[in-house]
Amino acid sequence: MAQQEPGGVSDAALDPTEFGRVQRPSRVSGIGRFTARRLLTGLGTLAFVLVFNFFLFQMLPGDPLARYKGAREISAEDLAALRQELESPLWEQFFNYVKDPLQLDSYSTIQGKPVWEVIADALPWTLILLGTSTLLATVIGIWIGIRAGWNRGSKFDKNSTGITLFLYATPEFWLGLLLILFFSTGFWIFPGIFPSGSAIGSGLDPWTVDGVISIAWHTVLPAASLAAVYLADYSLIMRASMVDELGQDYLMTARAKGLMDRAIRRGHAVPNASLPTITLIFLNIGFIIGGAITVETVFSYPGLGLLTWNAIQADDLPLLQALFLFFSVSVIVFNMIADIVIAAIDPRIRL
Amino acid sequence: MARTRRSLRWGAVASAAMVAGLLPLATTGGQAQALEQDGKNIFVVGVLQDVDNLNPFKGITVAAYEAWALTYDSLTGYGADRFEPVPQLAKDWGASEDGLTWTYNLVDNATFSDGEPLTADDVVYTFQRIMDGESIERTNWGSYVKNIESVTAVDDTTVEMVVEEPSPIMDTLTIPILPEHIWKNIDADALRKYTNEPDSDPPGMVGSGPFIMTDAVKGQYYRFETNPNYWGDQPNIDGVEYKIYQNDNGLVTALENGEIDFADDIEASLFNTLEGNPDVTAKSSQYSGFNYLTFNGGAQLTDGTPIGNGHPSLKDPIVREAIHYAIDKEALVDRTLQGRGSPGDTFIPPIYGDFHQTVEDPITYDPDMANKLLDDAGYAMGSDGIRTMPDGSDPLVYQLYSRQNSKTSQTTIQLLEGWLKAIGIDSKSESVSEGRLYGIAGDGTFDMYEWGWVVEPDPDYQVSVFTCDQMSYETKSGQVYAGLNDSFYCDKEYDQLYQDQAIEVDRAARADLVKQAQQKVYDANAYIVTEYYDYLQAYRNDRFTGFVEQPSDNGAILFQYGTYSYENIKPVSADSGSGSSSDSNTALIIGGVAAAAVLVGLIVWFATRGRRGANADVE
Amino acid sequence: MTTDTAPTVAIPSVRAIRWKRRQVATARFIRAFSRYRSGLFGVGILLFFVAVAVSAPYVFPEYLLDPNANLSNSVYAPPSAEFYYWMGTDDLGRSVLAELAWGARPSLVVGILASIMAMIIGTLVGIASGHFRGFFGGSMERLTDWFLVLPFVPTVIVLQAVLGETTIWITVIVLGITSWPGTARLVRAQTLSVEARPYIERAKVLGNSDWAQMVRHILPNVMPLVIANTTLTVAIVILSMTTLAFLGLLDPNLISWGGMLDSADATGAALQGAWWFLIPPGLCVIAVVLAFTLIGRTLEVVLNPRLGSN
Repeated sequence: MAQQEPGGVSDAALDPTEFGRVQRPSRVSGIGRFTARRLLTGLGTLAFVLVFNFFLFQMLPGDPLARYKGAREISAEDLAALRQELESPLWEQFFNYVKDPLQLDSYSTIQGKPVWEVIADALPWTLILLGTSTLLATVIGIWIGIRAGWNRGSKFDKNSTGITLFLYATPEFWLGLLLILFFSTGFWIFPGIFPSGSAIGSGLDPWTVDGVISIAWHTVLPAASLAAVYLADYSLIMRASMVDELGQDYLMTARAKGLMDRAIRRGHAVPNASLPTITLIFLNIGFIIGGAITVETVFSYPGLGLLTWNAIQADDLPLLQALFLFFSVSVIVFNMIADIVIAAIDPRIRL
Repeated sequence: MARTRRSLRWGAVASAAMVAGLLPLATTGGQAQALEQDGKNIFVVGVLQDVDNLNPFKGITVAAYEAWALTYDSLTGYGADRFEPVPQLAKDWGASEDGLTWTYNLVDNATFSDGEPLTADDVVYTFQRIMDGESIERTNWGSYVKNIESVTAVDDTTVEMVVEEPSPIMDTLTIPILPEHIWKNIDADALRKYTNEPDSDPPGMVGSGPFIMTDAVKGQYYRFETNPNYWGDQPNIDGVEYKIYQNDNGLVTALENGEIDFADDIEASLFNTLEGNPDVTAKSSQYSGFNYLTFNGGAQLTDGTPIGNGHPSLKDPIVREAIHYAIDKEALVDRTLQGRGSPGDTFIPPIYGDFHQTVEDPITYDPDMANKLLDDAGYAMGSDGIRTMPDGSDPLVYQLYSRQNSKTSQTTIQLLEGWLKAIGIDSKSESVSEGRLYGIAGDGTFDMYEWGWVVEPDPDYQVSVFTCDQMSYETKSGQVYAGLNDSFYCDKEYDQLYQDQAIEVDRAARADLVKQAQQKVYDANAYIVTEYYDYLQAYRNDRFTGFVEQPSDNGAILFQYGTYSYENIKPVSADSGSGSSSDSNTALIIGGVAAAAVLVGLIVWFATRGRRGANADVE
Repeated sequence: MTTDTAPTVAIPSVRAIRWKRRQVATARFIRAFSRYRSGLFGVGILLFFVAVAVSAPYVFPEYLLDPNANLSNSVYAPPSAEFYYWMGTDDLGRSVLAELAWGARPSLVVGILASIMAMIIGTLVGIASGHFRGFFGGSMERLTDWFLVLPFVPTVIVLQAVLGETTIWITVIVLGITSWPGTARLVRAQTLSVEARPYIERAKVLGNSDWAQMVRHILPNVMPLVIANTTLTVAIVILSMTTLAFLGLLDPNLISWGGMLDSADATGAALQGAWWFLIPPGLCVIAVVLAFTLIGRTLEVVLNPRLGSN
């Protein structure tokens, strides 16, 4: 087997937790022009998603009207009108779709409300869960990563890398089930003190002290399940970038000059090594918005993930289509934010 | 997850699950019971299924029907004893000699929760709206009025209805009576988008029933308080709250932790774990649902045009009978219901004792008999262990479907594959969403699948399922849709039985016709009714007592046809309501402190480990 | 650079030289790889599960998995001394140990096949988008960007519905289609760096066709990276497959670890204290995913001297 030439590939892209998700932005000068260009590609991606969304849902097997009709008793006239709309040529349907890609007037078949209203109802809960778990994962993950990377080969490095690799391999819903077993049902010596479902105690107003406490209480287990897995992601990549950064000449020089270790770490190594992790965090935010399906299902947490699950179960295609679009857009947006933030922090990237 | 046993199938399931309610014994009107703000006795019910829509013209889930039952009254209802017709808003009623004119005398003190009196005009308005309405207004309640020619208010408390044919349905008119002064402002177009919530415009959930909805957060909870203006007796509790859970584990844990007072529709395996808990009463009741296997007994349209690709052998009643013999229903009850149910026979479950047909000599598990039937009929076994058609063509290989969201369905089909194999029938199975299965059923592109029905107290709808009219139909543009008849059983004699029972006003005579109909379907093996499942509910016996069963012979204690339990339960002790909330607060605080301690401990642990590691490693 | 410094051997046959070179390179690779304990540990775990998957039909006869054949067994029986029931029984009275062993098969098969599919698509698109300039390369790059943003679970569900069935092959295709963009990204970056090297310039000047350039020069240079990346992709695909099975989106007749967890969740194993049906399948998933991750990480280091140097 031939070996590979050194250089060329970014180390961020080489990290196992990465799979090259990190965008290598094009070389444009100036943060303004960079941002503009990035927005443009973002819009292009958005256009693709819109088109893809249309055709993917068009391709679904079966008669769309039969699916829509389901168990309903729809009068012959209503059926005829719907049929006329559905049987118009594809290009005409596509044209109608492009005119109103958000499908503002489409209704969720399970909830009987406009799809975007349904999504807006669930979004705050997802944001709470996402915010909490991201915060936890970021703080703990980066901290472990820095420590492990700086003291490469130490006991701490070995232990933490072992643990994080284990967490990295753990399906988050399984972790959730175990947390329910231990901390909700109560098992062996563990107390069953946390609720295993919903996002707030029954009948509480979220805007009261009791409500806020209850929300926090309900967030603990699902947030812990998500945080544990993403923490692993962040600490592994942070460690890798630290190790990489430590090999750089300027740090060698700084050390040789006798600068304090701590000063080097704080002042040089950490800021530079954080860039890939920051990118990953933003990208993951985009993905978790749609990716917490299993955790939200396990904990009956009424966010977008559970909504997606319910839409799947009930064949609620209008809702599913809107969610699909929403998730894609959130990934695109956070992708863009990640690139722009990185470019703003590190001018090398937009050179 | 993945379990919606009580989800509505074919859209009709609970369609008559309406208010029965209180006998109008007390006509003293709403007494001014002083309600303290704190220490209210709120009955908290955990449910797995959300209300889909509170608009009585749109909602179809059981939870929605239950919410309407608390809020609205209907003319008549179903009794707690054996689903017999009982008075509600109509304190008495009767038909003319020829059975064509029905007169309903209303209670005189019914008032809507916004203070407006409920009069005969509101009844007329509600019925007229459905009768004259577009499809949306007819969908949920149309079957009640299709026989009614006219509805008139004779005076404020008397309603007269003229019908085309005498009909037993006039005894059980469970349509919720809506306030005209509100609903007249919502035309058909607006109705499509109207959600009928307390903060809707115009305000929703204004009814004359014992409870008023105060607060609704979709996917979370629905709160009700007692209606101080209620015309019947005030309930012994101050309010009801439904809390939505998305999985069984969460529901049962919440009951054990005392977060809820009642858990509805519990999965059998979890139900067993509750039985040791002294504070919880676990109640396993008869239920009105059954699971079944259907055959593609020759898919065709109502006009007789054959459709689909069903295996030709299934048109032969002998083959269907043989398969019936090959199925071990006891094992199904054991494996899919953890024993919480009973083997099925006919399509009106035994919970409706008046109408259920008990088969004299039921088919039981006997694979030898099955093989013999097939051998005798000429379905010879090939060298590969698979039978072929008598003429040697078409090996017996069946396409089976189960429902993706039902573990019971999947296990049933898994077991069925083994049982079919044992009698020389090969099979392929696939698990699909209910929406897709609906299409497959309509197109007749299956051989067998598993699904379930929930049967109403009035047998009309369920009997209609097997009529020729209910086979798939084709629209003018050539599109094929499923009817209710997913076995394509079509028999003129059966259709006649259906017609006859529909106009038989005498309950006993009608029951006889309905029983004959069931026996015919059973003998033809159009369906294999695999199991009647129990309804598993549980409540905190340290909080509430006095639940009422419907029917009195081991029936359900909540989610009934009526509001019997809500109106009869009592708090166990005066302070239990306030006690529960402070308990949960204490738990919250203790838990919060514990969680903080754990977190701090973890951080300290990591930090010290890190430091040690770092120190050891300094070069 | 090994290929340039391979020992000169006085044998005229080009094939023999190549053969020798390969032998030397392989030996060097194995030596390098075996320096990493974590990598060897991963190989060990993987070999164990491969052995389990291969031997499952011989050790655990098929009737153990047949619900009809186990109707007399009790449901959720706790672990017992009898070998088949070391891990107790599941919600249908079947041996959990047998299911664990058989469950290794789809995880490995789907994981590896889908990753290979992702590798092929990803490598093709990656090389094309790196090698070709202008419209074609640009569109390949955009295509990668686009597929990166598709939400995984909804995409898979809709794809499955479009493809019509839930067989294991459909699962392979669906996971393959959704897993390639990461590889494409990586390959594109590597292609760009290879293209910048002088000998590619030389090849271009000499008039080698695009095809020849890609196959002879670029592909060999990106392959090590692709192999490391694919190993890591297997880990992700197995996790994804577990998720799909847990959501009930795989063939229910297929015995898989994720499917076991779905059954455990649907029948309340946690509340009944049936830990033997809940914990072991999760640990198996973790072990296999960990194995591929460790191997992948080690391959990266071994195949990339810059990472391996310190």
